[in-house]
Amino acid sequence: MVIKYLDKFPKGRNARTLWVLKPMWVTLKKMFKTTFHRPVTIMYPYEKEWLPDNYRGRPGLIYERCVGCGVCMRMCPTKCIEIVDSDDNGKKVQRPQVNLGRCMMCGYCAEYCPVNAMIVTPDYELAAFTREELIYGPRKLAWPNPTPGMEVHLEEHLLSDPERGPVAYHITDRPELNAGKCIGCTKCVKVCPTDAVEMQTVGENDKGKPIKVPKFDVSRCICCENCVIECPKGAITIKEVL
Amino acid sequence: MMPDDRTMWITMGPQHPFSHGLWTLKIRADGEIVKDAEPVIGYLHRGWEKECENRTYPLIIPMADRLCYSASMTWSHVYCKVVEEAMGIELSDRAKYLRVVADEMCRIQSHLMWLAAMGTDLGNLTVFLWALRERELFLDLNVKLCGQRLTTNYPRIGGVRNDMPFYFERDCLRVVNRFEKMIWELVAMMDESSIFLSRMQGTGIISRKDAANYGLTGPTMRGSGVDFDIRRDDPYINYDLLDWDVAVCKDCDSYGRYKVRMEEMFQSCDIIRQAMAKLESIPKTEPTRIKVPRRVPEGTHFARLEDPRGESLMYLVSDGTDKPYRLKVRSPIFVNVSASKHFVNGVRIADIPAIMGTLDMCLGETDR
Amino acid sequence: MPYDSILNWIKFTDPMANPFYPYIKGGSAVYNLPYDIGHKLWELIGGAIAWLVNLLFPGNGVSTFLVGNDMFVNLISIVLMVVVIFAVGFIVNITMIWEERKILGRMMDRRATRIGPLGYLQNIADGLKTFLKEHITPAKADKKGYMWAVTILIGTSVLIACMIPLSDRWFIVDYGTGLLIIFGLFAIAPLMILVAGWSQNNKYSLIGGMRAAAQMVAYEVPILLVFASVSLLAGSFNINDIVHAQANSTWYIVPLFLGFIVFIVSAIAEAERIPFDLPEAEAELVEGWQTEYSGMKWGLIMLGDYFRGYIACALIVIMFLGGWYVPFISVEQQASWLPEIVFLLKVFLVFFVFAWVRAAHCRVRTDQILNIGWKVLMPLAVINLGITVAILLAGGILW
Repeated sequence: MVIKYLDKFPKGRNARTLWVLKPMWVTLKKMFKTTFHRPVTIMYPYEKEWLPDNYRGRPGLIYERCVGCGVCMRMCPTKCIEIVDSDDNGKKVQRPQVNLGRCMMCGYCAEYCPVNAMIVTPDYELAAFTREELIYGPRKLAWPNPTPGMEVHLEEHLLSDPERGPVAYHITDRPELNAGKCIGCTKCVKVCPTDAVEMQTVGENDKGKPIKVPKFDVSRCICCENCVIECPKGAITIKEVL
Repeated sequence: MMPDDRTMWITMGPQHPFSHGLWTLKIRADGEIVKDAEPVIGYLHRGWEKECENRTYPLIIPMADRLCYSASMTWSHVYCKVVEEAMGIELSDRAKYLRVVADEMCRIQSHLMWLAAMGTDLGNLTVFLWALRERELFLDLNVKLCGQRLTTNYPRIGGVRNDMPFYFERDCLRVVNRFEKMIWELVAMMDESSIFLSRMQGTGIISRKDAANYGLTGPTMRGSGVDFDIRRDDPYINYDLLDWDVAVCKDCDSYGRYKVRMEEMFQSCDIIRQAMAKLESIPKTEPTRIKVPRRVPEGTHFARLEDPRGESLMYLVSDGTDKPYRLKVRSPIFVNVSASKHFVNGVRIADIPAIMGTLDMCLGETDR
Repeated sequence: MPYDSILNWIKFTDPMANPFYPYIKGGSAVYNLPYDIGHKLWELIGGAIAWLVNLLFPGNGVSTFLVGNDMFVNLISIVLMVVVIFAVGFIVNITMIWEERKILGRMMDRRATRIGPLGYLQNIADGLKTFLKEHITPAKADKKGYMWAVTILIGTSVLIACMIPLSDRWFIVDYGTGLLIIFGLFAIAPLMILVAGWSQNNKYSLIGGMRAAAQMVAYEVPILLVFASVSLLAGSFNINDIVHAQANSTWYIVPLFLGFIVFIVSAIAEAERIPFDLPEAEAELVEGWQTEYSGMKWGLIMLGDYFRGYIACALIVIMFLGGWYVPFISVEQQASWLPEIVFLLKVFLVFFVFAWVRAAHCRVRTDQILNIGWKVLMPLAVINLGITVAILLAGGILW
């Protein structure tokens, strides 16, 4: 209800009146002020702006937490994340590798990471001499001292159960088996990053061999959809809880 | 051009200081007088709409940020709005007010960017730097709210990315109060300078009827006296519950458009303050983000809102999958710049930057 | 005498005792400081050379010719004097650019130049950078006009800047019509800008050149009228006489305040500075008539622009602010105080106003600038001339 600027000059202004001194007075005042005080600018290479923890610079990785599920790879809008083989104390593991030449720092990898292993880091000085230097492998991606503020938590409320509080897809959504389509190939067991799938014998077929179908351990599943994608018959779907 | 004609075509752009991006204004000049003009756009076409057809719904939000560098919040907002309408989701009050705060912050910083560009268009670098100085504070607020300065990536389908961080409310109110004090310095530089007034008054005249006929929107249209603002006339995210005025100026010239934008900044400050007060009364446990399905039901939907530059609109055709079948963007600048012939007809070459500056060009959204 | 001392060859003789000493006025020699510096410089350098040559070839004629021949010493001294004057002008110019950048930075709430002590060496760094830039000549440009116009433009600017006397002992030539000659050379610029703009085969340059011609012609008339009133009041076109007339009476800013305002506005327009920098308005005309100049050519044009700014400031100081004298202190007392420094400080003060105006104001439009020139400044200059005549007719009541 308050009109401030337009009320200040209700009659409008007229260029014919000689108003050249006011701007000069304002600039002179500013000059005296900035001569004795510090100007607002920051001398960049020598001093840097304070950044909050949640600043979205390049993505970072907490190596120990990561399970190599590949959600970050699928949620990346620019397809700059790739899951590569890495080495964790002699054990071969899967870890993300980020091509920062393509990264647009949207923070989706950190947001959708089910185990909060991907983080956002306040690192924005990323210039390099070659494109190869911009490909950050899992070890280079690690950030020395990650703080809790660098993790991005996905906090969604369910429309069906608003009292439940913030949840995320990896807490509510679970894979569902259409047993009729399953051929028992055990691919889902192999691709599951958290060993949440195991084959269970449900009977015998005509030749007397056991029929095995995957059983999902709901408490360990992180809803990474690897089994859904890998299933050759499309027998697994994600059941969304809304 | 006829051979015995005394006029000449001057191609201003695509790399030209006045153009604020990649576009060309071909003018036919008789000496210093502009007789005809023709905008040429499309240098920045990157197939945005087609690219969206290959992405799932959440992945389009960061792309919508990049439609316009200084209106990223409103562009991702209008995208989220159209998907929400397609899904039939109603947001919670907390998410709505957070979006109000984010949108109005975006509007102020976008208008300050325009003011800065206006300063260089008129040859005054002081205005440029002072306006950018004020804008920096709003960008810092953006950092605090969602982690990035320009490409905010803040709205989400079904709400916003995160709730307010600690002390954000205090910082936001401080910045707004300081801004309302400091902006008078800039007003003294512009409105109290008769050189500035003589450059702005009486140039780039577009009448009320023409403004409506050419489809101009936003401050460009309100500067011509058309009293229309989507925030008031087609309210969304609880703008109808807040108490504010639409800035309208009947001057119809560059100065009118300038005045409308300045007044809008003050109104935005007021809206932020009211929205903050409302946010305080809403408990923190209220959802800011609602879990949405991955697939959008089949159908066509459109959503529009008041961008800093005008009316931005998205039209969504979904075929029931998790990717849009078609996503059409209606850019306000695309329409506004189409009328540039009528803006600059009969003025001098020296006035073209001043007039085109008041349109607040942004080529990212124009060429898509 | 093979091992003679070097001091035998460096004698520091009185330059005014030289029979070819160029500055003779009314039968007696007038002391000239830069000539003296040049003379002493040559006595140092030439004496050392002569001593060396004499060491190698004792008793030759070259050594005595280098330091003994009056005509030769005079010639070399004049060359060195010109170098000294140009060096001082160049340093003053660099300082002015530094001053402007610092002031603009502080007014815009930012730090300005950062290299060197207080950022003073930033201009040197920028100059080195422009040296490294590529020279591009447009294929369809008129090569002669393209190169020569700008050469003459820069040349005249530097020439007038060197012709400005810093005090009554720091001058090149003490013309009886000093102001007129300076202004005549100053007025070559619009023509050359027009030629430069035309020859580049670029529409922006052409429009810029046209604007420069229109604007400068419009502003030269009031400037000439102010010149006329000042020299009427002083009774001479000679710069020395004008300054001494002010030292004897009062600064001309007091009786001719109107003329001062007219002149400062016109001088800003003549130096092509914001708010009157229409010919190079970068928002609409890219860089105006300088669009197609690149590398050090462009750097020299910028330097020439600041030389012209220096000339405008120096003329204001000479004509209205009492030149190299401070009021209320006798002229004889001030002669021992380095009047050159006083003069340059005044110039920097006037240039502060130029930079201040630049920070505070927008650019004026083409038609408005001509309106201001012809419809406002012209009548004011005529009124100023009338005031001068009235003062003269009143018989110098003021002093």
